[in-house]
Amino acid sequence: MKKGMIKATSGFERLVHWCLALSCLTLCFTGMAMMYHSMDFIGDMMGGMGNLKTVHNYTGVVFGVALIFAIGMWWKEAGLFSFPADWQWISCAGGYLWHVDKDKMPQVGKYNPGQKIFFLVVALYGIIMCISGYFMWFPEGYAKGLLQNMYLLHALGFVLIFPFFFIHLYLATIGVPGSAPAMFSGWVTRAWAKTNHPKWLKEIEK
Amino acid sequence: MKGLELVKLIDLSRCTACRGCQIACKQWNNLPASKTNNFGSYQNPPDLQWNTWTLIRFQEIEGQNNKVKWLFRKDGCMHCTDAACIKVCPTQALYHTEFGSVAVDYDRCIGCKACITACPFDVPRYDSVTNKIYKCDLCYSRLKANQPPACVQSCPTGALQIGAKDEMIAKAYKRAQELGDGATVYGDKYVDGTHVIYVLPQKAAVYEKLPDRPEVPAPILVWKDVLKPLGLIATGGVIGAAIVHYVTHGPKAPIEDNSNDQGGAV
Repeated sequence: MKKGMIKATSGFERLVHWCLALSCLTLCFTGMAMMYHSMDFIGDMMGGMGNLKTVHNYTGVVFGVALIFAIGMWWKEAGLFSFPADWQWISCAGGYLWHVDKDKMPQVGKYNPGQKIFFLVVALYGIIMCISGYFMWFPEGYAKGLLQNMYLLHALGFVLIFPFFFIHLYLATIGVPGSAPAMFSGWVTRAWAKTNHPKWLKEIEK
Repeated sequence: MKGLELVKLIDLSRCTACRGCQIACKQWNNLPASKTNNFGSYQNPPDLQWNTWTLIRFQEIEGQNNKVKWLFRKDGCMHCTDAACIKVCPTQALYHTEFGSVAVDYDRCIGCKACITACPFDVPRYDSVTNKIYKCDLCYSRLKANQPPACVQSCPTGALQIGAKDEMIAKAYKRAQELGDGATVYGDKYVDGTHVIYVLPQKAAVYEKLPDRPEVPAPILVWKDVLKPLGLIATGGVIGAAIVHYVTHGPKAPIEDNSNDQGGAV
Protein backbone atom coordinates (compact mmCIF):
# COMPACT_ATOMS: atom_id res chain seq x y z
CA MET A 1 0.00 0.00 0.00
CA LYS A 2 1.24 3.44 -0.91
CA LYS A 3 -0.29 6.74 0.14
CA GLY A 4 -2.31 8.39 -2.61
CA MET A 5 -1.48 5.53 -4.98
CA ILE A 6 -3.56 2.70 -6.31
CA LYS A 7 -2.41 -0.68 -7.56
CA ALA A 8 -3.80 -1.08 -11.08
CA THR A 9 -2.08 -4.24 -12.30
CA SER A 10 -0.50 -7.35 -10.82
CA GLY A 11 3.02 -8.45 -11.63
CA PHE A 12 1.66 -11.34 -13.66
CA GLU A 13 -0.50 -9.00 -15.72
CA ARG A 14 2.48 -6.81 -16.48
CA LEU A 15 4.62 -9.80 -17.45
CA VAL A 16 1.95 -11.08 -19.85
CA HIS A 17 1.40 -7.56 -21.22
CA TRP A 18 5.07 -7.10 -22.07
CA CYS A 19 5.47 -10.60 -23.52
CA LEU A 20 2.49 -9.86 -25.77
CA ALA A 21 3.62 -6.32 -26.60
CA LEU A 22 7.24 -7.09 -27.41
CA SER A 23 6.42 -10.20 -29.41
CA CYS A 24 3.70 -8.29 -31.28
CA LEU A 25 6.09 -5.46 -32.16
CA THR A 26 8.81 -7.89 -33.23
CA LEU A 27 6.23 -9.58 -35.46
CA CYS A 28 5.10 -6.24 -36.90
CA PHE A 29 8.62 -5.11 -37.79
CA THR A 30 9.86 -8.44 -39.14
CA GLY A 31 6.59 -8.79 -41.02
CA MET A 32 7.00 -5.33 -42.50
CA ALA A 33 10.49 -6.28 -43.68
CA MET A 34 8.87 -9.10 -45.66
CA MET A 35 5.99 -7.00 -47.04
CA TYR A 36 7.86 -3.74 -47.79
CA HIS A 37 11.13 -4.29 -49.65
CA SER A 38 12.40 -0.86 -48.52
CA MET A 39 12.49 -2.23 -44.96
CA ASP A 40 14.63 -5.28 -45.66
CA PHE A 41 17.49 -3.64 -43.75
CA ILE A 42 15.79 -5.23 -40.73
CA GLY A 43 16.68 -8.54 -42.37
CA ASP A 44 20.28 -7.37 -42.80
CA MET A 45 20.36 -6.59 -39.09
CA MET A 46 19.40 -10.21 -38.39
CA GLY A 47 21.90 -11.72 -40.78
CA GLY A 48 19.54 -12.12 -43.73
CA MET A 49 15.90 -12.51 -44.58
CA GLY A 50 16.04 -16.26 -43.89
CA ASN A 51 16.92 -15.57 -40.26
CA LEU A 52 14.30 -12.85 -40.12
CA LYS A 53 11.64 -15.33 -41.24
CA THR A 54 12.79 -17.79 -38.56
CA VAL A 55 12.61 -15.05 -35.92
CA HIS A 56 9.13 -14.10 -37.18
CA ASN A 57 7.87 -17.70 -37.04
CA TYR A 58 9.06 -18.48 -33.53
CA THR A 59 8.10 -15.05 -32.17
CA GLY A 60 4.64 -15.96 -33.45
CA VAL A 61 4.65 -18.92 -31.07
CA VAL A 62 5.59 -16.63 -28.15
CA PHE A 63 2.83 -14.23 -29.19
CA GLY A 64 0.30 -17.06 -29.36
CA VAL A 65 1.15 -18.30 -25.86
CA ALA A 66 1.10 -14.77 -24.39
CA LEU A 67 -2.22 -14.19 -26.13
CA ILE A 68 -3.77 -17.23 -24.44
CA PHE A 69 -2.76 -15.85 -21.02
CA ALA A 70 -3.92 -12.33 -21.94
CA ILE A 71 -7.34 -13.55 -23.05
CA GLY A 72 -7.63 -15.73 -19.95
CA MET A 73 -6.92 -12.96 -17.47
CA TRP A 74 -8.49 -9.96 -19.23
CA TRP A 75 -11.55 -11.39 -20.98
CA LYS A 76 -14.00 -10.60 -18.16
CA GLU A 77 -12.66 -7.08 -17.55
CA ALA A 78 -11.82 -5.97 -21.09
CA GLY A 79 -13.55 -8.40 -23.42
CA LEU A 80 -17.16 -7.82 -22.45
CA PHE A 81 -19.08 -4.61 -22.99
CA SER A 82 -21.65 -3.34 -20.52
CA PHE A 83 -24.42 -1.70 -22.44
CA PRO A 84 -25.88 0.89 -22.55
CA ALA A 85 -23.11 2.76 -20.69
CA ASP A 86 -20.40 1.56 -23.07
CA TRP A 87 -22.47 2.47 -26.09
CA GLN A 88 -22.96 5.96 -24.69
CA TRP A 89 -19.18 6.25 -24.20
CA ILE A 90 -18.54 5.17 -27.78
CA SER A 91 -21.11 7.59 -29.20
CA CYS A 92 -19.26 10.50 -27.62
CA ALA A 93 -15.81 8.98 -28.41
CA GLY A 94 -14.99 8.98 -24.72
CA GLY A 95 -14.77 12.76 -24.78
CA TYR A 96 -11.39 12.56 -26.53
CA LEU A 97 -12.35 14.20 -29.80
CA TRP A 98 -14.92 16.87 -29.06
CA HIS A 99 -16.39 18.53 -26.02
CA VAL A 100 -18.86 16.41 -24.09
CA ASP A 101 -20.79 17.69 -21.10
CA LYS A 102 -19.77 15.95 -17.91
CA ASP A 103 -23.27 14.68 -17.15
CA LYS A 104 -23.44 13.00 -20.53
CA MET A 105 -20.22 11.04 -20.01
CA PRO A 106 -20.87 7.61 -18.50
CA GLN A 107 -18.69 6.62 -15.55
CA VAL A 108 -15.82 4.49 -16.78
CA GLY A 109 -14.96 1.23 -15.03
CA LYS A 110 -11.59 -0.53 -15.05
CA TYR A 111 -11.38 -0.43 -18.83
CA ASN A 112 -13.10 2.05 -21.08
CA PRO A 113 -14.78 0.82 -24.29
CA GLY A 114 -11.87 2.12 -26.39
CA GLN A 115 -9.52 -0.08 -24.43
CA LYS A 116 -11.97 -2.94 -24.77
CA ILE A 117 -12.09 -2.52 -28.55
CA PHE A 118 -8.29 -2.55 -28.71
CA PHE A 119 -8.17 -5.65 -26.53
CA LEU A 120 -10.79 -7.40 -28.65
CA VAL A 121 -9.07 -6.54 -31.93
CA VAL A 122 -5.74 -7.90 -30.64
CA ALA A 123 -7.34 -10.92 -28.96
CA LEU A 124 -9.66 -12.01 -31.77
CA TYR A 125 -7.52 -10.98 -34.71
CA GLY A 126 -4.45 -12.30 -32.87
CA ILE A 127 -6.03 -15.75 -33.02
CA ILE A 128 -6.62 -15.30 -36.76
CA MET A 129 -2.98 -14.20 -37.15
CA CYS A 130 -1.81 -17.38 -35.39
CA ILE A 131 -4.01 -19.60 -37.55
CA SER A 132 -3.15 -17.90 -40.85
CA GLY A 133 0.50 -17.77 -39.81
CA TYR A 134 0.46 -21.50 -39.20
CA PHE A 135 -0.73 -22.11 -42.75
CA MET A 136 1.95 -19.78 -44.12
CA TRP A 137 4.63 -21.54 -42.08
CA PHE A 138 3.51 -25.05 -43.14
CA PRO A 139 1.67 -24.59 -46.46
CA GLU A 140 2.43 -27.97 -47.98
CA GLY A 141 -0.59 -30.13 -48.65
CA TYR A 142 -3.23 -27.42 -48.41
CA ALA A 143 -5.39 -26.10 -51.27
CA LYS A 144 -3.94 -23.02 -52.93
CA GLY A 145 -7.18 -21.05 -52.71
CA LEU A 146 -7.20 -21.58 -48.94
CA LEU A 147 -3.54 -20.54 -48.62
CA GLN A 148 -4.03 -17.41 -50.73
CA ASN A 149 -6.80 -16.30 -48.39
CA MET A 150 -4.58 -17.01 -45.38
CA TYR A 151 -1.99 -14.58 -46.80
CA LEU A 152 -4.80 -12.06 -47.29
CA LEU A 153 -6.05 -12.44 -43.70
CA HIS A 154 -2.50 -12.15 -42.35
CA ALA A 155 -1.91 -8.88 -44.22
CA LEU A 156 -5.30 -7.56 -43.09
CA GLY A 157 -4.31 -8.25 -39.48
CA PHE A 158 -1.26 -6.05 -39.88
CA VAL A 159 -3.39 -3.25 -41.35
CA LEU A 160 -5.71 -3.45 -38.32
CA ILE A 161 -3.30 -4.05 -35.46
CA PHE A 162 -0.26 -1.93 -36.34
CA PRO A 163 -2.08 1.44 -36.71
CA PHE A 164 -4.20 0.62 -33.65
CA PHE A 165 -0.99 0.00 -31.69
CA PHE A 166 -0.04 3.68 -32.19
CA ILE A 167 -3.36 4.81 -30.71
CA HIS A 168 -2.62 2.54 -27.75
CA LEU A 169 0.91 3.92 -27.46
CA TYR A 170 -0.26 7.54 -27.63
CA LEU A 171 -3.08 7.19 -25.10
CA ALA A 172 -0.96 5.11 -22.72
CA THR A 173 1.85 7.68 -22.65
CA ILE A 174 1.70 11.38 -23.57
CA GLY A 175 -2.01 11.37 -24.47
CA VAL A 176 -3.15 10.45 -20.96
CA PRO A 177 -0.29 11.26 -18.57
CA GLY A 178 -0.08 8.96 -15.58
CA SER A 179 -1.21 5.86 -17.50
CA ALA A 180 2.16 4.30 -18.32
CA PRO A 181 3.14 3.52 -14.69
CA ALA A 182 0.23 1.04 -14.65
CA MET A 183 2.33 -1.21 -16.85
CA PHE A 184 5.71 -0.47 -15.25
CA SER A 185 5.39 -0.29 -11.47
CA GLY A 186 1.72 -1.18 -11.47
CA TRP A 187 0.88 1.85 -9.31
CA VAL A 188 -1.22 4.78 -10.53
CA THR A 189 -2.19 7.92 -8.68
CA ARG A 190 -5.64 8.19 -7.16
CA ALA A 191 -6.19 11.39 -9.13
CA TRP A 192 -5.46 9.53 -12.36
CA ALA A 193 -7.90 6.78 -11.44
CA LYS A 194 -10.58 9.28 -10.45
CA THR A 195 -10.17 11.18 -13.72
CA ASN A 196 -10.07 8.21 -16.04
CA HIS A 197 -11.73 5.29 -14.28
CA PRO A 198 -14.04 6.73 -11.59
CA LYS A 199 -16.42 3.77 -11.49
CA TRP A 200 -13.54 1.36 -10.94
CA LEU A 201 -12.13 3.60 -8.19
CA LYS A 202 -15.49 3.55 -6.41
CA GLU A 203 -15.65 -0.23 -6.67
CA ILE A 204 -12.24 -0.82 -5.13
CA GLU A 205 -12.73 1.77 -2.42
CA LYS A 206 -16.04 0.32 -1.30
CA MET B 1 18.81 -11.89 -78.90
CA LYS B 2 20.55 -9.36 -76.71
CA GLY B 3 18.45 -6.36 -75.74
CA LEU B 4 15.21 -7.95 -76.93
CA GLU B 5 12.07 -8.94 -75.09
CA LEU B 6 11.98 -12.63 -75.93
CA VAL B 7 9.23 -15.18 -76.33
CA LYS B 8 9.68 -18.94 -76.45
CA LEU B 9 7.17 -20.36 -78.89
CA ILE B 10 5.99 -23.93 -78.26
CA ASP B 11 4.22 -25.32 -81.30
CA LEU B 12 2.61 -28.43 -79.85
CA SER B 13 1.48 -29.59 -83.28
CA ARG B 14 5.14 -30.33 -83.98
CA CYS B 15 5.96 -31.97 -80.64
CA THR B 16 6.64 -35.71 -80.82
CA ALA B 17 7.24 -36.06 -77.06
CA CYS B 18 10.83 -37.19 -77.58
CA ARG B 19 11.69 -35.42 -74.31
CA GLY B 20 15.02 -34.21 -75.62
CA CYS B 21 14.16 -30.85 -74.03
CA GLN B 22 13.69 -32.48 -70.62
CA ILE B 23 17.16 -34.04 -70.82
CA ALA B 24 18.85 -30.95 -72.25
CA CYS B 25 17.32 -28.87 -69.45
CA LYS B 26 18.71 -31.22 -66.80
CA GLN B 27 22.10 -31.30 -68.48
CA TRP B 28 22.54 -27.54 -68.85
CA ASN B 29 21.17 -26.71 -65.40
CA ASN B 30 23.08 -29.57 -63.76
CA LEU B 31 19.93 -31.12 -62.26
CA PRO B 32 20.07 -34.67 -60.89
CA ALA B 33 17.44 -37.32 -61.57
CA SER B 34 15.16 -38.61 -58.84
CA LYS B 35 13.86 -42.12 -58.35
CA THR B 36 10.62 -42.27 -60.29
CA ASN B 37 7.55 -44.50 -60.47
CA ASN B 38 5.33 -45.77 -63.24
CA PHE B 39 1.81 -44.47 -62.83
CA GLY B 40 0.47 -45.89 -66.07
CA SER B 41 1.71 -43.20 -68.39
CA TYR B 42 4.75 -42.43 -70.48
CA GLN B 43 4.88 -39.12 -68.61
CA ASN B 44 8.04 -39.31 -66.56
CA PRO B 45 8.66 -38.07 -63.92
CA PRO B 46 4.96 -37.83 -62.96
CA ASP B 47 5.11 -34.07 -62.33
CA LEU B 48 7.41 -31.06 -62.28
CA GLN B 49 10.00 -31.34 -59.49
CA TRP B 50 12.55 -29.06 -57.92
CA ASN B 51 15.01 -30.81 -60.24
CA THR B 52 12.68 -31.13 -63.26
CA TRP B 53 11.97 -27.68 -64.63
CA THR B 54 10.30 -28.80 -67.83
CA LEU B 55 8.14 -31.85 -68.39
CA ILE B 56 6.33 -33.32 -71.37
CA ARG B 57 2.81 -34.14 -70.23
CA PHE B 58 1.16 -37.12 -71.95
CA GLN B 59 -2.60 -37.03 -72.17
CA GLU B 60 -5.06 -39.35 -73.86
CA ILE B 61 -8.29 -37.98 -75.27
CA GLU B 62 -10.99 -39.40 -77.48
CA GLY B 63 -10.40 -38.44 -81.09
CA GLN B 64 -12.39 -39.13 -84.26
CA ASN B 65 -14.16 -42.51 -84.58
CA ASN B 66 -13.56 -43.34 -80.92
CA LYS B 67 -9.85 -43.53 -81.56
CA VAL B 68 -7.46 -42.58 -78.80
CA LYS B 69 -5.64 -39.35 -79.45
CA TRP B 70 -2.40 -38.50 -77.72
CA LEU B 71 -1.80 -34.94 -76.61
CA PHE B 72 1.64 -33.74 -75.61
CA ARG B 73 2.37 -30.54 -73.74
CA LYS B 74 5.72 -29.20 -72.64
CA ASP B 75 5.02 -27.79 -69.16
CA GLY B 76 7.19 -25.32 -67.28
CA CYS B 77 7.43 -21.70 -66.27
CA MET B 78 5.39 -19.40 -68.52
CA HIS B 79 7.47 -16.30 -67.60
CA CYS B 80 4.50 -13.98 -66.97
CA THR B 81 4.75 -10.23 -67.40
CA ASP B 82 2.35 -9.68 -64.49
CA ALA B 83 4.04 -12.43 -62.50
CA ALA B 84 2.26 -13.44 -59.29
CA CYS B 85 5.45 -15.05 -57.97
CA ILE B 86 7.39 -11.79 -58.24
CA LYS B 87 4.50 -9.95 -56.61
CA VAL B 88 4.49 -12.15 -53.52
CA CYS B 89 8.22 -12.88 -53.11
CA PRO B 90 9.24 -11.21 -49.82
CA THR B 91 12.94 -11.05 -50.67
CA GLN B 92 12.95 -10.09 -54.36
CA ALA B 93 14.54 -13.44 -55.11
CA LEU B 94 12.23 -13.73 -58.13
CA TYR B 95 12.76 -11.02 -60.70
CA HIS B 96 12.33 -10.07 -64.34
CA THR B 97 15.45 -10.29 -66.46
CA GLU B 98 16.19 -7.86 -69.28
CA PHE B 99 14.66 -10.44 -71.65
CA GLY B 100 11.28 -10.36 -69.87
CA SER B 101 11.79 -13.83 -68.40
CA VAL B 102 11.46 -14.60 -64.68
CA ALA B 103 14.67 -15.74 -62.98
CA VAL B 104 15.55 -16.73 -59.40
CA ASP B 105 18.32 -15.28 -57.27
CA TYR B 106 19.11 -18.30 -55.11
CA ASP B 107 21.14 -16.26 -52.61
CA ARG B 108 17.95 -14.35 -51.80
CA CYS B 109 15.40 -17.19 -51.73
CA ILE B 110 14.42 -18.11 -48.15
CA GLY B 111 12.11 -21.00 -49.04
CA CYS B 112 8.93 -19.31 -47.79
CA LYS B 113 6.87 -20.97 -50.57
CA ALA B 114 4.67 -17.91 -51.17
CA CYS B 115 5.38 -18.17 -54.92
CA ILE B 116 4.11 -21.77 -54.94
CA THR B 117 0.81 -20.56 -53.49
CA ALA B 118 0.52 -17.63 -55.90
CA CYS B 119 1.58 -19.11 -59.27
CA PRO B 120 -1.49 -19.60 -61.50
CA PHE B 121 0.42 -22.27 -63.49
CA ASP B 122 1.59 -24.30 -60.46
CA VAL B 123 5.24 -24.12 -61.52
CA PRO B 124 7.66 -23.41 -58.62
CA ARG B 125 8.81 -26.46 -56.67
CA TYR B 126 10.37 -26.57 -53.20
CA ASP B 127 13.43 -28.55 -52.16
CA SER B 128 13.62 -29.16 -48.42
CA VAL B 129 17.35 -30.00 -48.53
CA THR B 130 18.41 -26.57 -49.77
CA ASN B 131 15.25 -24.83 -48.42
CA LYS B 132 14.75 -23.04 -51.74
CA ILE B 133 12.32 -23.07 -54.65
CA TYR B 134 13.32 -23.98 -58.17
CA LYS B 135 11.90 -23.38 -61.62
CA CYS B 136 12.87 -22.72 -65.24
CA ASP B 137 14.70 -19.41 -65.76
CA LEU B 138 14.57 -19.66 -69.57
CA CYS B 139 18.30 -20.49 -69.39
CA TYR B 140 19.23 -16.98 -68.34
CA SER B 141 22.91 -17.93 -68.41
CA ARG B 142 22.59 -18.96 -72.06
CA LEU B 143 20.48 -15.96 -73.11
CA LYS B 144 23.14 -13.64 -71.69
CA ALA B 145 25.68 -15.43 -73.90
CA ASN B 146 23.39 -14.97 -76.92
CA GLN B 147 22.52 -18.67 -76.99
CA PRO B 148 19.01 -20.16 -77.16
CA PRO B 149 17.73 -22.03 -74.08
CA ALA B 150 18.89 -25.64 -73.85
CA CYS B 151 15.40 -26.98 -74.60
CA VAL B 152 15.14 -24.92 -77.80
CA GLN B 153 18.65 -25.96 -78.85
CA SER B 154 17.79 -29.64 -78.40
CA CYS B 155 14.37 -29.72 -80.11
CA PRO B 156 14.68 -31.83 -83.29
CA THR B 157 11.26 -31.00 -84.81
CA GLY B 158 11.16 -27.23 -84.60
CA ALA B 159 8.41 -27.31 -81.99
CA LEU B 160 10.50 -24.93 -79.87
CA GLN B 161 11.71 -21.57 -81.08
CA ILE B 162 12.83 -18.38 -79.40
CA GLY B 163 12.92 -14.83 -80.74
CA ALA B 164 11.61 -11.29 -80.47
CA LYS B 165 8.20 -11.15 -78.81
CA ASP B 166 6.24 -9.58 -81.68
CA GLU B 167 7.81 -11.85 -84.25
CA MET B 168 6.99 -14.98 -82.24
CA ILE B 169 3.40 -13.91 -81.57
CA ALA B 170 2.87 -13.24 -85.28
CA LYS B 171 4.36 -16.64 -86.07
CA ALA B 172 2.09 -18.29 -83.53
CA TYR B 173 -1.08 -16.83 -85.03
CA LYS B 174 0.04 -17.69 -88.53
CA ARG B 175 0.70 -21.29 -87.50
CA ALA B 176 -2.64 -21.59 -85.67
CA GLN B 177 -4.41 -20.37 -88.80
CA GLU B 178 -2.50 -22.90 -90.91
CA LEU B 179 -3.50 -25.71 -88.58
CA GLY B 180 -7.14 -24.63 -88.32
CA ASP B 181 -9.53 -27.17 -86.82
CA GLY B 182 -9.75 -25.41 -83.45
CA ALA B 183 -6.03 -24.66 -83.08
CA THR B 184 -5.43 -21.72 -80.74
CA VAL B 185 -2.67 -19.44 -79.49
CA TYR B 186 -2.22 -19.44 -75.72
CA GLY B 187 -0.33 -16.97 -73.55
CA ASP B 188 -0.21 -13.52 -75.14
CA LYS B 189 -3.64 -12.53 -73.75
CA TYR B 190 -3.08 -13.53 -70.11
CA VAL B 191 -1.18 -11.96 -67.18
CA ASP B 192 -0.12 -9.09 -69.47
CA GLY B 193 1.43 -11.63 -71.82
CA THR B 194 3.54 -14.64 -71.00
CA HIS B 195 7.02 -15.05 -72.41
CA VAL B 196 6.23 -18.65 -73.29
CA ILE B 197 3.48 -18.96 -75.87
CA TYR B 198 1.79 -22.12 -77.09
CA VAL B 199 0.25 -23.04 -80.39
CA LEU B 200 -2.33 -25.55 -79.17
CA PRO B 201 -3.85 -27.94 -81.73
CA GLN B 202 -6.85 -28.26 -79.36
CA LYS B 203 -8.76 -25.74 -77.26
CA ALA B 204 -6.93 -24.75 -74.06
CA ALA B 205 -9.64 -26.29 -71.86
CA VAL B 206 -8.81 -29.73 -73.26
CA TYR B 207 -5.30 -29.72 -71.80
CA GLU B 208 -4.78 -31.05 -68.28
CA LYS B 209 -3.25 -28.67 -65.75
CA LEU B 210 -3.40 -25.77 -68.18
CA PRO B 211 -5.59 -23.03 -66.65
CA ASP B 212 -8.28 -21.81 -69.02
CA ARG B 213 -7.99 -18.17 -67.93
CA PRO B 214 -4.80 -17.78 -65.88
CA GLU B 215 -4.55 -14.65 -63.77
CA VAL B 216 -2.92 -13.36 -60.61
CA PRO B 217 -5.24 -14.79 -57.91
CA ALA B 218 -7.69 -12.22 -56.49
CA PRO B 219 -6.59 -12.63 -52.83
CA ILE B 220 -3.01 -11.91 -53.92
CA LEU B 221 -4.16 -8.72 -55.69
CA VAL B 222 -6.05 -7.53 -52.59
CA TRP B 223 -3.03 -8.33 -50.42
CA LYS B 224 -0.42 -6.64 -52.57
CA ASP B 225 -2.34 -3.83 -54.29
CA VAL B 226 -4.77 -2.82 -51.52
CA LEU B 227 -3.66 -3.97 -48.06
CA LYS B 228 0.06 -3.34 -48.58
CA PRO B 229 -0.31 0.41 -49.31
CA LEU B 230 -3.25 0.67 -46.88
CA GLY B 231 -1.02 -0.55 -44.05
CA LEU B 232 1.32 2.40 -44.53
CA ILE B 233 -1.49 4.92 -45.11
CA ALA B 234 -3.37 3.82 -41.99
CA THR B 235 -0.24 3.82 -39.82
CA GLY B 236 0.84 7.22 -41.08
CA GLY B 237 -2.69 8.55 -40.65
CA VAL B 238 -2.93 7.37 -37.06
CA ILE B 239 0.48 8.78 -36.10
CA GLY B 240 -0.42 12.07 -37.78
CA ALA B 241 -3.81 12.15 -36.05
CA ALA B 242 -2.17 11.51 -32.66
CA ILE B 243 0.21 14.43 -33.19
CA VAL B 244 -2.65 16.71 -34.26
CA HIS B 245 -4.69 15.59 -31.25
CA TYR B 246 -1.82 16.28 -28.87
CA VAL B 247 -1.22 19.73 -30.34
CA THR B 248 -4.85 20.82 -30.59
CA HIS B 249 -6.50 19.02 -27.66
CA GLY B 250 -3.53 18.45 -25.42
CA PRO B 251 -3.08 15.57 -23.02
CA LYS B 252 -5.86 14.47 -20.71
CA ALA B 253 -4.13 15.26 -17.45
CA PRO B 254 -5.47 13.92 -14.14
CA ILE B 255 -7.61 16.44 -12.29
CA GLU B 256 -5.84 17.02 -8.97
CA ASP B 257 -7.65 15.18 -6.31
CA ASN B 258 -8.13 17.17 -3.10
CA SER B 259 -10.75 14.98 -1.53
CA ASN B 260 -8.13 12.88 0.12
CA ASP B 261 -10.55 11.71 2.74
CA GLN B 262 -10.11 8.08 1.81
CA GLY B 263 -6.37 8.36 1.65
CA GLY B 264 -6.13 6.31 -1.50
CA ALA B 265 -6.16 3.17 0.55
CA VAL B 266 -6.66 -0.02 -1.38
